[in-house]
Amino acid sequence: MNAVIDVQHLKKTFNKEAALKDVSFTIQKGEIFGFLGPSGSGKTTTIKILTAQTEKTAGDVLLFGRPASEMKQSNNRKRFGILTDNSGLYTRLSIEENLILYSNLYQLPKSAVKEALDFVNLYGDRKKKISQLSKGMMQRVTLARAIMHKPELLFLDEPTSALDPVNTQHIYNGLRKLNEMGTTIFLTTHDMSEAEILCDRVAFLHKGKIRAIGAPKDLKKEFGDESITVELKNGACEVIQNGEQDAEKLYHWMQSNEVSRIYTNEPTLGNIFMQITGSDLV
Amino acid sequence: MNLSMTRIQAILMKDYKEFSRNYAVSIMVLMPLALAFLYNKSGANTINTYFLAINMAFTLVTAYVQCCLIAEEKEKNTLRSLMLSPASLGDILIGKSLFVFILTMVIVALTIFIVGYSPANLFILAIALILSTVFYIAIGTLCGLFAKTVMEGSLIILPVILIFGFGSFALALSSAFPILKIAEWLPSSQLAQLAEVLEGTYTTMDVIIPIATIIAWSIVTWIVVGYIYKKRMVD
Repeated sequence: MNAVIDVQHLKKTFNKEAALKDVSFTIQKGEIFGFLGPSGSGKTTTIKILTAQTEKTAGDVLLFGRPASEMKQSNNRKRFGILTDNSGLYTRLSIEENLILYSNLYQLPKSAVKEALDFVNLYGDRKKKISQLSKGMMQRVTLARAIMHKPELLFLDEPTSALDPVNTQHIYNGLRKLNEMGTTIFLTTHDMSEAEILCDRVAFLHKGKIRAIGAPKDLKKEFGDESITVELKNGACEVIQNGEQDAEKLYHWMQSNEVSRIYTNEPTLGNIFMQITGSDLV
Repeated sequence: MNLSMTRIQAILMKDYKEFSRNYAVSIMVLMPLALAFLYNKSGANTINTYFLAINMAFTLVTAYVQCCLIAEEKEKNTLRSLMLSPASLGDILIGKSLFVFILTMVIVALTIFIVGYSPANLFILAIALILSTVFYIAIGTLCGLFAKTVMEGSLIILPVILIFGFGSFALALSSAFPILKIAEWLPSSQLAQLAEVLEGTYTTMDVIIPIATIIAWSIVTWIVVGYIYKKRMVD
Protein backbone atom coordinates (compact mmCIF):
# COMPACT_ATOMS: atom_id res chain seq x y z
CA MET A 1 0.00 0.00 0.00
CA ASN A 2 1.25 3.44 -0.91
CA ALA A 3 -1.39 5.52 0.86
CA VAL A 4 -0.21 9.06 1.54
CA ILE A 5 -3.46 9.93 3.32
CA ASP A 6 -5.65 7.40 5.07
CA VAL A 7 -8.75 8.74 6.82
CA GLN A 8 -11.14 6.30 8.53
CA HIS A 9 -14.39 7.20 10.32
CA LEU A 10 -13.27 10.77 10.96
CA LYS A 11 -15.57 12.84 13.13
CA LYS A 12 -15.22 16.43 14.24
CA THR A 13 -17.61 18.43 16.36
CA PHE A 14 -17.48 22.11 17.27
CA ASN A 15 -19.57 22.95 20.35
CA LYS A 16 -21.69 19.81 19.93
CA GLU A 17 -22.30 20.65 16.24
CA ALA A 18 -20.93 18.00 13.89
CA ALA A 19 -18.71 19.39 11.12
CA LEU A 20 -17.57 15.97 9.92
CA LYS A 21 -19.60 12.78 10.36
CA ASP A 22 -17.85 9.49 9.68
CA VAL A 23 -15.63 10.58 6.78
CA SER A 24 -13.43 7.88 5.23
CA PHE A 25 -11.13 8.05 2.19
CA THR A 26 -7.66 7.01 1.10
CA ILE A 27 -5.31 8.87 -1.25
CA GLN A 28 -2.53 7.00 -2.98
CA LYS A 29 0.91 8.39 -3.72
CA GLY A 30 0.96 10.44 -6.92
CA GLU A 31 -2.79 11.02 -7.04
CA ILE A 32 -4.54 14.34 -7.59
CA PHE A 33 -7.56 14.09 -5.33
CA GLY A 34 -10.40 16.59 -5.48
CA PHE A 35 -12.45 17.29 -2.37
CA LEU A 36 -15.59 18.98 -3.63
CA GLY A 37 -18.34 20.52 -1.62
CA PRO A 38 -20.17 23.76 -0.89
CA SER A 39 -19.03 26.26 1.74
CA GLY A 40 -19.42 24.87 5.25
CA SER A 41 -19.36 21.25 4.10
CA GLY A 42 -16.20 20.48 6.10
CA LYS A 43 -13.47 20.77 3.43
CA THR A 44 -11.27 23.24 5.31
CA THR A 45 -11.82 21.41 8.61
CA THR A 46 -10.54 18.24 6.94
CA ILE A 47 -7.40 20.04 5.69
CA LYS A 48 -6.85 21.50 9.17
CA ILE A 49 -7.08 18.05 10.77
CA LEU A 50 -4.73 16.57 8.16
CA THR A 51 -2.16 19.31 8.78
CA ALA A 52 -2.49 19.11 12.60
CA GLN A 53 -4.02 22.58 12.92
CA THR A 54 -7.17 21.14 14.51
CA GLU A 55 -7.68 18.03 16.58
CA LYS A 56 -10.15 15.38 15.46
CA THR A 57 -13.02 14.27 17.72
CA ALA A 58 -12.89 10.62 16.64
CA GLY A 59 -11.52 8.35 13.92
CA ASP A 60 -8.11 7.53 12.46
CA VAL A 61 -6.13 9.97 10.35
CA LEU A 62 -2.79 8.83 8.95
CA LEU A 63 -0.39 10.83 6.79
CA PHE A 64 2.54 8.93 5.31
CA GLY A 65 1.49 6.05 7.60
CA ARG A 66 1.89 8.16 10.77
CA PRO A 67 -0.84 9.84 12.89
CA ALA A 68 -1.65 13.33 11.57
CA SER A 69 -0.89 14.80 15.00
CA GLU A 70 2.79 14.05 14.28
CA MET A 71 2.67 16.64 11.50
CA LYS A 72 3.25 19.23 14.25
CA GLN A 73 6.84 18.07 14.35
CA SER A 74 9.22 20.38 12.59
CA ASN A 75 10.76 17.72 10.29
CA ASN A 76 7.39 16.34 9.20
CA ARG A 77 6.23 19.81 8.14
CA LYS A 78 8.81 19.71 5.32
CA ARG A 79 6.85 16.85 3.77
CA PHE A 80 3.77 18.91 2.90
CA GLY A 81 2.92 22.31 1.47
CA ILE A 82 -0.32 24.19 1.96
CA LEU A 83 -2.23 26.95 0.20
CA THR A 84 -5.22 28.31 2.09
CA ASP A 85 -7.64 31.16 1.47
CA ASN A 86 -5.83 33.13 4.18
CA SER A 87 -2.53 34.13 2.57
CA GLY A 88 -0.42 34.67 5.72
CA LEU A 89 2.02 36.89 3.80
CA TYR A 90 4.01 39.79 5.27
CA THR A 91 2.42 42.81 3.62
CA ARG A 92 5.31 45.25 4.22
CA LEU A 93 7.77 42.90 2.55
CA SER A 94 8.18 42.28 -1.17
CA ILE A 95 7.21 39.04 -2.92
CA GLU A 96 10.88 38.07 -3.07
CA GLU A 97 11.50 38.92 0.62
CA ASN A 98 8.54 36.74 1.64
CA LEU A 99 9.85 33.81 -0.39
CA ILE A 100 13.44 34.28 0.82
CA LEU A 101 12.16 34.04 4.41
CA TYR A 102 10.47 30.71 3.67
CA SER A 103 13.40 29.39 1.62
CA ASN A 104 15.55 29.99 4.73
CA LEU A 105 12.99 28.34 7.01
CA TYR A 106 12.98 25.30 4.72
CA GLN A 107 16.78 25.64 4.30
CA LEU A 108 16.58 25.61 0.51
CA PRO A 109 19.19 26.82 -2.01
CA LYS A 110 18.78 30.38 -3.32
CA SER A 111 17.68 29.04 -6.72
CA ALA A 112 14.46 27.74 -5.12
CA VAL A 113 13.04 31.29 -4.92
CA LYS A 114 13.53 31.90 -8.65
CA GLU A 115 12.09 28.48 -9.53
CA ALA A 116 9.00 29.17 -7.41
CA LEU A 117 8.57 32.65 -8.92
CA ASP A 118 8.83 31.21 -12.44
CA PHE A 119 6.27 28.55 -11.50
CA VAL A 120 3.65 31.19 -10.71
CA ASN A 121 4.77 33.60 -13.44
CA LEU A 122 5.81 36.35 -11.01
CA TYR A 123 9.57 36.68 -11.48
CA GLY A 124 9.21 40.08 -13.14
CA ASP A 125 7.12 41.38 -10.22
CA ARG A 126 9.33 40.00 -7.45
CA LYS A 127 10.25 43.44 -6.03
CA LYS A 128 6.61 44.46 -5.56
CA LYS A 129 5.33 44.76 -1.99
CA ILE A 130 2.57 42.34 -0.99
CA SER A 131 0.38 45.31 0.02
CA GLN A 132 0.40 46.45 -3.64
CA LEU A 133 -0.75 43.13 -5.09
CA SER A 134 -4.15 42.08 -6.38
CA LYS A 135 -5.89 39.09 -4.77
CA GLY A 136 -4.92 36.89 -7.70
CA MET A 137 -1.24 37.84 -7.48
CA MET A 138 -1.30 37.23 -3.72
CA GLN A 139 -2.75 33.80 -4.35
CA ARG A 140 0.10 33.05 -6.76
CA VAL A 141 2.68 34.12 -4.14
CA THR A 142 1.03 31.83 -1.58
CA LEU A 143 1.14 29.00 -4.10
CA ALA A 144 4.83 29.70 -4.80
CA ARG A 145 5.49 29.49 -1.05
CA ALA A 146 3.56 26.20 -0.82
CA ILE A 147 5.49 24.47 -3.61
CA MET A 148 8.97 25.97 -3.26
CA HIS A 149 10.28 23.08 -1.11
CA LYS A 150 8.85 20.50 -3.57
CA PRO A 151 6.65 18.78 -0.98
CA GLU A 152 5.58 15.14 -1.19
CA LEU A 153 2.01 16.22 -0.46
CA LEU A 154 0.36 19.49 -1.43
CA PHE A 155 -2.88 20.81 0.08
CA LEU A 156 -4.60 23.35 -2.15
CA ASP A 157 -7.69 25.15 -0.90
CA GLU A 158 -9.34 26.81 -3.94
CA PRO A 159 -5.99 27.42 -5.71
CA THR A 160 -7.28 29.31 -8.75
CA SER A 161 -10.37 31.04 -7.33
CA ALA A 162 -8.98 34.55 -7.92
CA LEU A 163 -6.97 33.91 -11.08
CA ASP A 164 -7.54 34.95 -14.69
CA PRO A 165 -7.75 32.22 -17.37
CA VAL A 166 -4.14 32.70 -18.57
CA ASN A 167 -2.65 32.32 -15.09
CA THR A 168 -5.10 29.51 -14.25
CA GLN A 169 -3.78 27.57 -17.25
CA HIS A 170 -0.20 28.35 -16.19
CA ILE A 171 -0.91 27.01 -12.69
CA TYR A 172 -2.63 23.88 -14.08
CA ASN A 173 0.43 23.10 -16.20
CA GLY A 174 2.70 23.65 -13.20
CA LEU A 175 0.59 21.43 -10.94
CA ARG A 176 0.61 18.65 -13.54
CA LYS A 177 4.40 18.96 -13.77
CA LEU A 178 4.69 18.77 -9.96
CA ASN A 179 2.38 15.76 -9.95
CA GLU A 180 4.49 14.05 -12.64
CA MET A 181 7.49 14.57 -10.36
CA GLY A 182 5.65 12.58 -7.65
CA THR A 183 3.79 15.20 -5.61
CA THR A 184 0.42 14.00 -4.32
CA ILE A 185 -2.17 16.78 -4.49
CA PHE A 186 -5.21 17.22 -2.25
CA LEU A 187 -7.37 19.87 -3.84
CA THR A 188 -10.56 21.52 -2.65
CA THR A 189 -12.52 23.50 -5.18
CA HIS A 190 -15.94 24.75 -6.18
CA ASP A 191 -14.89 24.76 -9.80
CA MET A 192 -16.15 21.55 -11.38
CA SER A 193 -14.23 22.05 -14.61
CA GLU A 194 -11.04 22.44 -12.59
CA ALA A 195 -11.74 19.15 -10.83
CA GLU A 196 -12.41 17.44 -14.18
CA ILE A 197 -9.23 18.82 -15.72
CA LEU A 198 -6.90 18.06 -12.83
CA CYS A 199 -8.24 15.27 -10.62
CA ASP A 200 -7.68 11.55 -10.88
CA ARG A 201 -10.42 11.03 -8.28
CA VAL A 202 -12.93 13.26 -6.56
CA ALA A 203 -15.07 13.03 -3.42
CA PHE A 204 -18.29 14.94 -2.90
CA LEU A 205 -18.60 16.23 0.64
CA HIS A 206 -21.98 17.43 1.79
CA LYS A 207 -23.03 18.33 5.34
CA GLY A 208 -19.97 16.60 6.80
CA LYS A 209 -20.42 13.32 4.90
CA ILE A 210 -18.85 11.93 1.74
CA ARG A 211 -21.74 11.26 -0.67
CA ALA A 212 -19.77 9.84 -3.60
CA ILE A 213 -16.16 9.10 -4.41
CA GLY A 214 -14.41 7.96 -7.58
CA ALA A 215 -12.76 8.94 -10.86
CA PRO A 216 -14.74 11.68 -12.70
CA LYS A 217 -15.14 9.32 -15.68
CA ASP A 218 -16.54 6.54 -13.51
CA LEU A 219 -18.91 8.87 -11.65
CA LYS A 220 -20.24 10.22 -14.95
CA LYS A 221 -20.87 6.67 -16.10
CA GLU A 222 -22.54 5.74 -12.84
CA PHE A 223 -24.78 8.78 -12.60
CA GLY A 224 -25.46 9.50 -16.26
CA ASP A 225 -27.11 7.74 -19.16
CA GLU A 226 -25.23 6.90 -22.32
CA SER A 227 -27.49 8.85 -24.66
CA ILE A 228 -26.27 11.30 -27.28
CA THR A 229 -28.03 14.26 -28.83
CA VAL A 230 -28.05 14.71 -32.59
CA GLU A 231 -28.97 18.07 -34.10
CA LEU A 232 -30.16 17.76 -37.68
CA LYS A 233 -29.86 20.31 -40.45
CA ASN A 234 -33.65 20.65 -40.60
CA GLY A 235 -33.55 21.98 -36.99
CA ALA A 236 -34.78 18.81 -35.33
CA CYS A 237 -33.04 17.61 -32.19
CA GLU A 238 -32.99 13.85 -31.53
CA VAL A 239 -31.83 12.02 -28.41
CA ILE A 240 -30.65 8.54 -29.20
CA GLN A 241 -29.58 5.68 -26.93
CA ASN A 242 -26.53 3.44 -27.08
CA GLY A 243 -27.89 0.43 -29.00
CA GLU A 244 -28.19 -1.26 -32.39
CA GLN A 245 -31.50 0.33 -33.35
CA ASP A 246 -30.39 3.92 -32.69
CA ALA A 247 -27.00 3.26 -34.27
CA GLU A 248 -28.78 2.45 -37.49
CA LYS A 249 -30.75 5.70 -37.23
CA LEU A 250 -27.54 7.68 -36.76
CA TYR A 251 -25.90 5.87 -39.66
CA HIS A 252 -28.83 6.79 -41.89
CA TRP A 253 -28.68 10.51 -40.93
CA MET A 254 -24.93 10.62 -41.53
CA GLN A 255 -25.19 8.88 -44.85
CA SER A 256 -27.79 11.35 -46.05
CA ASN A 257 -25.68 14.26 -44.71
CA GLU A 258 -28.44 15.45 -42.37
CA VAL A 259 -26.34 15.82 -39.17
CA SER A 260 -25.49 19.37 -38.09
CA ARG A 261 -24.08 18.68 -34.54
CA ILE A 262 -23.61 15.67 -32.30
CA TYR A 263 -22.76 15.56 -28.59
CA THR A 264 -22.89 13.26 -25.57
CA ASN A 265 -25.31 13.86 -22.70
CA GLU A 266 -22.93 12.83 -19.93
CA PRO A 267 -23.52 14.81 -16.73
CA THR A 268 -21.02 17.33 -15.40
CA LEU A 269 -19.64 16.83 -11.90
CA GLY A 270 -21.89 19.72 -10.85
CA ASN A 271 -24.95 17.84 -12.18
CA ILE A 272 -23.90 14.73 -10.30
CA PHE A 273 -23.44 16.69 -7.09
CA MET A 274 -26.92 18.17 -7.47
CA GLN A 275 -28.35 14.75 -8.26
CA ILE A 276 -26.82 13.24 -5.11
CA THR A 277 -27.39 16.03 -2.63
CA GLY A 278 -30.25 17.99 -4.09
CA SER A 279 -28.28 21.21 -3.61
CA ASP A 280 -25.89 23.34 -5.64
CA LEU A 281 -22.10 23.53 -5.18
CA VAL A 282 -21.89 27.10 -3.88
CA MET B 1 14.71 21.45 21.46
CA ASN B 2 15.27 21.52 17.70
CA LEU B 3 16.96 24.89 16.97
CA SER B 4 18.36 26.21 13.70
CA MET B 5 20.50 29.34 13.46
CA THR B 6 19.47 29.82 9.80
CA ARG B 7 15.78 29.88 10.76
CA ILE B 8 16.32 32.10 13.80
CA GLN B 9 18.33 34.55 11.66
CA ALA B 10 15.67 34.48 8.92
CA ILE B 11 12.92 35.41 11.41
CA LEU B 12 15.16 38.10 12.98
CA MET B 13 15.85 39.71 9.59
CA LYS B 14 12.17 39.57 8.66
CA ASP B 15 11.20 41.27 11.95
CA TYR B 16 13.82 43.96 11.42
CA LYS B 17 12.48 44.74 7.91
CA GLU B 18 8.86 44.71 9.06
CA PHE B 19 9.58 46.88 12.11
CA SER B 20 11.59 49.46 10.15
CA ARG B 21 8.63 49.88 7.76
CA ASN B 22 5.99 49.97 10.52
CA TYR B 23 6.12 53.59 11.72
CA ALA B 24 3.13 53.23 14.09
CA VAL B 25 5.12 50.84 16.27
CA SER B 26 8.71 51.95 15.60
CA ILE B 27 7.96 55.51 16.75
CA MET B 28 7.40 54.11 20.28
CA VAL B 29 11.14 53.57 20.78
CA LEU B 30 11.56 57.34 20.94
CA MET B 31 9.23 57.68 23.96
CA PRO B 32 11.63 56.46 26.70
CA LEU B 33 14.43 58.51 25.14
CA ALA B 34 12.25 61.62 25.30
CA LEU B 35 11.35 60.82 28.93
CA ALA B 36 15.02 60.28 29.78
CA PHE B 37 15.84 63.67 28.26
CA LEU B 38 13.09 65.35 30.33
CA TYR B 39 14.28 63.67 33.56
CA ASN B 40 17.82 64.80 32.82
CA LYS B 41 16.70 68.38 32.21
CA SER B 42 14.53 68.38 35.38
CA GLY B 43 17.65 67.72 37.46
CA ALA B 44 16.22 64.57 39.05
CA ASN B 45 19.25 62.43 39.74
CA THR B 46 18.29 59.69 42.17
CA ILE B 47 18.44 55.97 41.45
CA ASN B 48 14.63 55.83 41.57
CA THR B 49 14.22 58.47 38.84
CA TYR B 50 16.89 56.82 36.67
CA PHE B 51 15.05 53.54 36.97
CA LEU B 52 11.71 55.10 36.28
CA ALA B 53 13.10 55.97 32.83
CA ILE B 54 14.79 52.56 32.43
CA ASN B 55 11.64 50.65 33.45
CA MET B 56 9.64 52.79 31.02
CA ALA B 57 12.06 51.68 28.30
CA PHE B 58 11.36 48.07 29.24
CA THR B 59 7.59 48.46 29.16
CA LEU B 60 7.26 50.83 26.19
CA VAL B 61 9.91 49.26 23.98
CA THR B 62 10.43 45.66 25.05
CA ALA B 63 6.95 44.60 26.15
CA TYR B 64 4.92 46.90 23.86
CA VAL B 65 6.88 46.28 20.66
CA GLN B 66 7.04 42.51 21.26
CA CYS B 67 3.29 42.45 21.97
CA CYS B 68 2.52 44.37 18.75
CA LEU B 69 4.84 42.17 16.64
CA ILE B 70 3.16 38.98 17.91
CA ALA B 71 -0.38 40.43 17.71
CA GLU B 72 0.21 41.55 14.11
CA GLU B 73 1.44 38.07 13.17
CA LYS B 74 -1.81 36.71 14.58
CA GLU B 75 -3.98 39.35 12.93
CA LYS B 76 -2.49 38.71 9.49
CA ASN B 77 -2.38 34.94 9.98
CA THR B 78 1.39 34.94 9.41
CA LEU B 79 2.04 33.25 12.77
CA ARG B 80 0.01 30.24 11.59
CA SER B 81 2.05 30.17 8.37
CA LEU B 82 5.27 30.19 10.42
CA MET B 83 3.88 27.41 12.61
CA LEU B 84 3.18 25.32 9.49
CA SER B 85 6.78 25.76 8.28
CA PRO B 86 9.60 23.61 9.67
CA ALA B 87 10.48 26.37 12.17
CA SER B 88 10.23 24.91 15.69
CA LEU B 89 8.70 26.55 18.74
CA GLY B 90 12.22 27.54 19.80
CA ASP B 91 13.15 28.95 16.36
CA ILE B 92 10.03 31.13 16.27
CA LEU B 93 10.16 32.36 19.87
CA ILE B 94 13.92 33.03 19.85
CA GLY B 95 13.82 34.55 16.34
CA LYS B 96 10.94 36.82 17.27
CA SER B 97 12.54 37.81 20.60
CA LEU B 98 16.05 38.43 19.34
CA PHE B 99 15.16 41.58 17.42
CA VAL B 100 13.38 43.13 20.43
CA PHE B 101 16.27 42.04 22.66
CA ILE B 102 18.83 43.90 20.52
CA LEU B 103 16.51 46.91 20.23
CA THR B 104 16.04 46.98 24.03
CA MET B 105 19.78 46.84 24.69
CA VAL B 106 20.33 49.85 22.42
CA ILE B 107 17.44 51.88 23.89
CA VAL B 108 18.29 51.06 27.54
CA ALA B 109 21.96 51.99 26.94
CA LEU B 110 20.87 55.28 25.35
CA THR B 111 18.40 55.92 28.22
CA ILE B 112 21.16 55.36 30.83
CA PHE B 113 23.43 57.70 28.88
CA ILE B 114 20.77 60.43 28.49
CA VAL B 115 19.65 60.41 32.17
CA GLY B 116 23.32 60.63 33.13
CA TYR B 117 23.41 57.49 35.30
CA SER B 118 26.83 55.90 35.90
CA PRO B 119 26.35 52.61 37.78
CA ALA B 120 28.79 51.68 40.54
CA ASN B 121 28.96 48.05 39.37
CA LEU B 122 28.24 47.92 35.65
CA PHE B 123 28.81 44.16 35.37
CA ILE B 124 26.16 43.11 37.93
CA LEU B 125 23.74 45.75 36.68
CA ALA B 126 24.22 44.60 33.06
CA ILE B 127 23.31 41.03 34.10
CA ALA B 128 20.16 42.31 35.84
CA LEU B 129 19.23 44.43 32.80
CA ILE B 130 19.66 41.47 30.45
CA LEU B 131 17.52 39.26 32.71
CA SER B 132 14.88 42.00 32.92
CA THR B 133 14.84 42.22 29.11
CA VAL B 134 14.19 38.48 28.93
CA PHE B 135 11.27 38.89 31.35
CA TYR B 136 9.71 41.86 29.52
CA ILE B 137 10.00 40.03 26.18
CA ALA B 138 8.09 37.13 27.76
CA ILE B 139 5.33 39.37 29.12
CA GLY B 140 5.07 41.14 25.72
CA THR B 141 4.88 37.77 23.94
CA LEU B 142 2.18 36.59 26.34
CA CYS B 143 0.05 39.72 25.79
CA GLY B 144 0.55 39.36 22.00
CA LEU B 145 -0.60 35.74 22.11
CA PHE B 146 -3.78 36.73 23.92
CA ALA B 147 -4.57 39.55 21.47
CA LYS B 148 -6.33 38.90 18.17
CA THR B 149 -5.32 42.22 16.59
CA VAL B 150 -2.65 44.90 17.05
CA MET B 151 -5.35 47.23 18.39
CA GLU B 152 -6.35 44.65 21.00
CA GLY B 153 -2.67 44.06 21.82
CA SER B 154 -2.04 47.73 22.51
CA LEU B 155 -4.97 47.69 24.97
CA ILE B 156 -3.96 44.44 26.70
CA ILE B 157 -0.42 45.78 27.24
CA LEU B 158 -1.66 48.92 29.08
CA PRO B 159 -2.02 47.28 32.55
CA VAL B 160 1.44 45.78 32.06
CA ILE B 161 2.88 49.24 31.39
CA LEU B 162 1.03 50.56 34.44
CA ILE B 163 2.01 47.76 36.83
CA PHE B 164 5.61 47.23 35.77
CA GLY B 165 6.46 50.73 34.58
CA PHE B 166 4.95 52.62 37.52
CA GLY B 167 4.93 49.83 40.17
CA SER B 168 7.55 51.64 42.24
CA PHE B 169 5.06 54.51 42.79
CA ALA B 170 2.82 52.03 44.62
CA LEU B 171 5.57 51.50 47.18
CA ALA B 172 5.38 55.17 48.16
CA LEU B 173 1.75 54.56 49.20
CA SER B 174 2.46 51.32 51.07
CA SER B 175 2.37 52.96 54.54
CA ALA B 176 -1.29 53.91 53.93
CA PHE B 177 -2.14 50.72 51.99
CA PRO B 178 0.06 47.86 53.29
CA ILE B 179 -1.14 45.54 50.51
CA LEU B 180 0.84 47.63 48.06
CA LYS B 181 4.05 46.33 49.67
CA ILE B 182 3.64 43.45 47.26
CA ALA B 183 4.94 45.82 44.56
CA GLU B 184 8.34 45.41 46.16
CA TRP B 185 8.55 41.98 44.48
CA LEU B 186 7.93 43.27 40.99
CA PRO B 187 10.95 42.83 38.71
CA SER B 188 11.02 46.59 38.10
CA SER B 189 11.22 47.29 41.87
CA GLN B 190 13.83 44.56 42.36
CA LEU B 191 15.94 46.07 39.59
CA ALA B 192 15.83 49.51 41.22
CA GLN B 193 16.61 47.99 44.65
CA LEU B 194 19.58 46.14 43.21
CA ALA B 195 20.93 49.35 41.65
CA GLU B 196 20.45 51.09 45.01
CA VAL B 197 22.44 48.49 46.99
CA LEU B 198 25.19 48.45 44.37
CA GLU B 199 25.88 52.10 45.16
CA GLY B 200 26.92 51.24 48.76
CA THR B 201 28.41 48.26 50.57
CA TYR B 202 26.45 45.09 49.95
CA THR B 203 26.40 41.37 50.77
CA THR B 204 26.10 38.54 48.24
CA MET B 205 22.49 37.99 49.29
CA ASP B 206 21.71 41.65 48.51
CA VAL B 207 22.61 40.86 44.89
CA ILE B 208 21.28 37.30 44.65
CA ILE B 209 17.75 37.99 45.92
CA PRO B 210 16.79 40.63 43.30
CA ILE B 211 18.45 38.67 40.49
CA ALA B 212 16.77 35.42 41.59
CA THR B 213 13.41 37.23 41.76
CA ILE B 214 13.78 38.53 38.19
CA ILE B 215 14.84 35.05 37.01
CA ALA B 216 11.80 33.49 38.75
CA TRP B 217 9.45 35.98 37.04
CA SER B 218 11.09 35.17 33.68
CA ILE B 219 10.89 31.40 34.08
CA VAL B 220 7.25 31.41 35.14
CA THR B 221 6.26 33.81 32.32
CA TRP B 222 8.16 31.83 29.66
CA ILE B 223 6.54 28.57 30.81
CA VAL B 224 3.11 30.20 30.44
CA VAL B 225 4.18 31.55 26.99
CA GLY B 226 5.20 28.04 25.85
CA TYR B 227 1.89 26.59 27.05
CA ILE B 228 -0.26 29.31 25.42
CA TYR B 229 1.76 29.15 22.16
CA LYS B 230 1.18 25.39 21.90
CA LYS B 231 -2.53 25.90 22.55
CA ARG B 232 -2.63 28.56 19.81
CA MET B 233 -1.05 26.11 17.35
CA VAL B 234 -4.38 24.30 17.10
CA ASP B 235 -7.83 25.81 16.60
